[in-house]
Amino acid sequence: MSEDFNNNKTIQAQSSETLTGGGGGGLTPDMDYVRPAEVTDQDLYHGHSFITKWVFCQDAKVIGVQYFLLATFTGVVGLILSWLMRLQLGFPGAAGFMTAEHYYQFVTMHGMIMVVYFLTALFLGGFGNYLIPLMVGARDMVFPYLNMVSFWSFFVAVAVLMASFFVPGGPTGAGWTLYPPQTILEGTPGSEYGILLMCLSLILFVAGFTMGGLNYLITVLQARTRGMTLMRMPLTVWGIFTATVLAMLAFPALLVGALMMSLDKVLGTSFFMPTILKAGEVLEYGGGSPILFQHLFWFFGHPEVYIVALPAFGIISDLISVHARKNIFGYRMMVWAIVGIGALSFFVWAHHMYVSGMNPWFGFFFATTTLIIAVPTAMKVYNWILTLWKGNIRMNTVMLWCLGFIVTFVNGGITGIFLGNVSVDVPLSDTYFVVAHFHMVMGIAPLMVIMGAIYHWFPLVAGRFLDEKLGKWHFWTTFLGAYSIYFPMHYLGFIGVPRRYFEMYDSPYMTSAVGMNEFISLAAFLVGAAQFILIYNIIKTLKTGKPAGKNPWKANSLEWLTPTVPPEHGNWGDRLPVVHRWPYDFSVPGAKEDYITQTTPPSEVVNTGVEKT
Amino acid sequence: MSETEKKNQSSTHKIGIYLWIWGLLFVLSFFSYLVDWYQFQGLLRWSLILIFMFLKAGLIMAFFMHLFWERYALVNVLLWPMTAIACFIFLMVAEYKYTVFTRLFYFFVGG
Amino acid sequence: MSDPKIDGLELKPGFKGMAEDTGSDQTMFKGVHWGKAMMWIFLLSDTFIFSCFLISYMKGRGSTPVEWPNPSEVFALDAFGVPVPLLLIAIMTFVLITSSGTMALAVKYGYEKNRKMCGWLVLATAIGGLTFVGMQAFEWSKLIHEGVRPWENPFGAAQFGSFFFMITGFHGTHVSIGVIFLFIYAYKVFAGHYDDQKRGWFTSMKGDYVEIEILGLYWHFVDLVWVFIFAFFYLW
Repeated sequence: MSEDFNNNKTIQAQSSETLTGGGGGGLTPDMDYVRPAEVTDQDLYHGHSFITKWVFCQDAKVIGVQYFLLATFTGVVGLILSWLMRLQLGFPGAAGFMTAEHYYQFVTMHGMIMVVYFLTALFLGGFGNYLIPLMVGARDMVFPYLNMVSFWSFFVAVAVLMASFFVPGGPTGAGWTLYPPQTILEGTPGSEYGILLMCLSLILFVAGFTMGGLNYLITVLQARTRGMTLMRMPLTVWGIFTATVLAMLAFPALLVGALMMSLDKVLGTSFFMPTILKAGEVLEYGGGSPILFQHLFWFFGHPEVYIVALPAFGIISDLISVHARKNIFGYRMMVWAIVGIGALSFFVWAHHMYVSGMNPWFGFFFATTTLIIAVPTAMKVYNWILTLWKGNIRMNTVMLWCLGFIVTFVNGGITGIFLGNVSVDVPLSDTYFVVAHFHMVMGIAPLMVIMGAIYHWFPLVAGRFLDEKLGKWHFWTTFLGAYSIYFPMHYLGFIGVPRRYFEMYDSPYMTSAVGMNEFISLAAFLVGAAQFILIYNIIKTLKTGKPAGKNPWKANSLEWLTPTVPPEHGNWGDRLPVVHRWPYDFSVPGAKEDYITQTTPPSEVVNTGVEKT
Repeated sequence: MSETEKKNQSSTHKIGIYLWIWGLLFVLSFFSYLVDWYQFQGLLRWSLILIFMFLKAGLIMAFFMHLFWERYALVNVLLWPMTAIACFIFLMVAEYKYTVFTRLFYFFVGG
Repeated sequence: MSDPKIDGLELKPGFKGMAEDTGSDQTMFKGVHWGKAMMWIFLLSDTFIFSCFLISYMKGRGSTPVEWPNPSEVFALDAFGVPVPLLLIAIMTFVLITSSGTMALAVKYGYEKNRKMCGWLVLATAIGGLTFVGMQAFEWSKLIHEGVRPWENPFGAAQFGSFFFMITGFHGTHVSIGVIFLFIYAYKVFAGHYDDQKRGWFTSMKGDYVEIEILGLYWHFVDLVWVFIFAFFYLW
């Protein structure tokens, strides 16, 4: 049995269409033929001054780095907020200034920052901008000017969001879901200006993101290089592309919700405001539908989960394949799983609303669709594991992050199946079980991917390797620490500790969970601090790191094949690359090296067991 | 782009087709106005409104926006996402019926 | 426009063609200009915005237990002393469809590189749009005069005014933006920017008559949305 595996049959066994009969035949003069270019070469604007080169820059790579840095900055703000929350929960009263209002504000801002301004912006704006043009073989994004405006809209959106910390009443404290009516009623922190700034910031973010998203989509659809078919794109591009499609179709619901909420606040309309009795008096509002906001929000909110997750799925597939030196198992299945998850994500939104008082029949529909989504997701997990199976695994920092991701993601995914069932969700909803679930599945898991991607692509961006030793410290502290935080939280959820509570006072929740809460908080401080290892690592290796040179990981995809490293504006020098194969030809039997780049023509690898892709 | 574009530019459509569609749009708008003029009610009103609406929308998209002449790859990409909208509409109809039911039941009937 | 010819690639019609286009390299939408593809995707996104507005309107209107005002009466206009239902709305629809027709012709003449005809038709479209915005302003002021506010109105459910001003306002914003661009593009056509491939002011990309088609797509979309608003807001 093992004999069969050792002759690498598994690697070939995907398609019956192989290019060679093994005997060296089939070398025809036109076997390297690729259709001529349909599109004339892109006309680029080259900046000359400092401002046009580095500030208002139209180069997607610089914009990607700008997005990355700004998103990281907001992420650090979110991290500090989470520290403050954990300080309060683990050691009540230790932070003297902290009132319940502050706590709610921190919860809200932490959630919104991390989901929208950190993860979305980092994956799509950061990695999307940097990698899409390089990976599909384009010179730049198709609308560089619009791309530049996109980043600066994001910048203004972040500025508005941060400004809400300094207005009277502070930022909104309604929870990141911003549910009306309490969001805009007196008594909720930030109901004066905070909520308005939040809505404004979201609208700006959506506007800016739309400009960026159009760029990503049209670049992938219309600006690929010769020979680059959709089914030859790296899965990273597939993930970012599908996530962008979701964003383009889901953000409108958020925009509409934010706009209507602002009108309720400013003009006193009652879109979301029912008749409310407050201290014996009927308020001006009346007749609106709070649950409408929840539907709008989650029609955005659920695809948003996949906007974060799909790029992570894509990137991790590439990292695993490169560092296990094996082709990705079931490439087509992976692509269709990404597309399928994306499509399904528009039909599952109300599983966030099982206890909201919506039409009770909806539970059947949404529980069914939610559980169906587990199928393509599980396929992806199997495929990652099967890619690792018998691979020539390099146990470097990147691979550690990949393995960390798979474990965390499976963990978070399984608790998702619990919560997707109505009858299981009802007792668990609004407990720490939910907090643990979504932090595992869309907090820690995508974060692991981001870290892996940083260690993987830093040599491309900066031309130098990050320090491996520091990287391993970073990984193990983060991985073990994150488990120390979120694993106990599941138990807190089971004993019924409610989330979003400032303090448990003398309730049984407080007395029985006090040790666990202290432990979680200490772990949270440690994990947060460990992230600064990465920042230190980046600053250190920018000057002193080991030079990477061209294609240091021996990868196949186009971003490593630019004439200069790091790539210059225009990416490809004089001639665009021509693509002949998919980016996963690793360890091909008979090949001289264990990788065959995408630009290698078939005539050069004629005696190998390479497949036609 | 420019090479392929130049070749196509000669093959535009006859002016007649635009004038026809233009005329049809006026006629259909007039019909949908008549729905209100004659105060049709109930199912008849709804079906007439929707029929005229979709016919008008279809004509604008197909001919004025050239979708009829576009290749299926583009048409397909544009029309599939509408299923998400259809689902949203369908579920919100169920939802508003439930909301108004609960309101009438608890506030007016008294629970 | 239709059936582009691309060197080295035979484009098959129908669903077989769709499969081949999707599976091919370089572009998925064969012969479609980048900007045009972008506008289509943007309109798709915008469709979701308007759909969300209209769905919210349906949910809001459906779930309020208070009587909804009868639009036929609210939007009636006195013509020679007789109240005619939806008179202004009918005229507005007429104007918008007219401008859509002139835009379609402008696109046609743009592709034929007929600078004069194209320019005049774009200008006519702009004036049509401006008339529409003017009539909408008149409609708004009339309703405000009658006591309709976003937060209340004398005819029934308060949400009537809220949704009316929000949805027509959002549509009107689209029309206004379109009008501004139509005037700019009319100038650019007359000045011959597309004939000489003059570079854009901001994007520094070469001008081409395809921009007229892109603008046309936007303008037809605005008309398309009005068809839905007309059906759901005024006729329901």
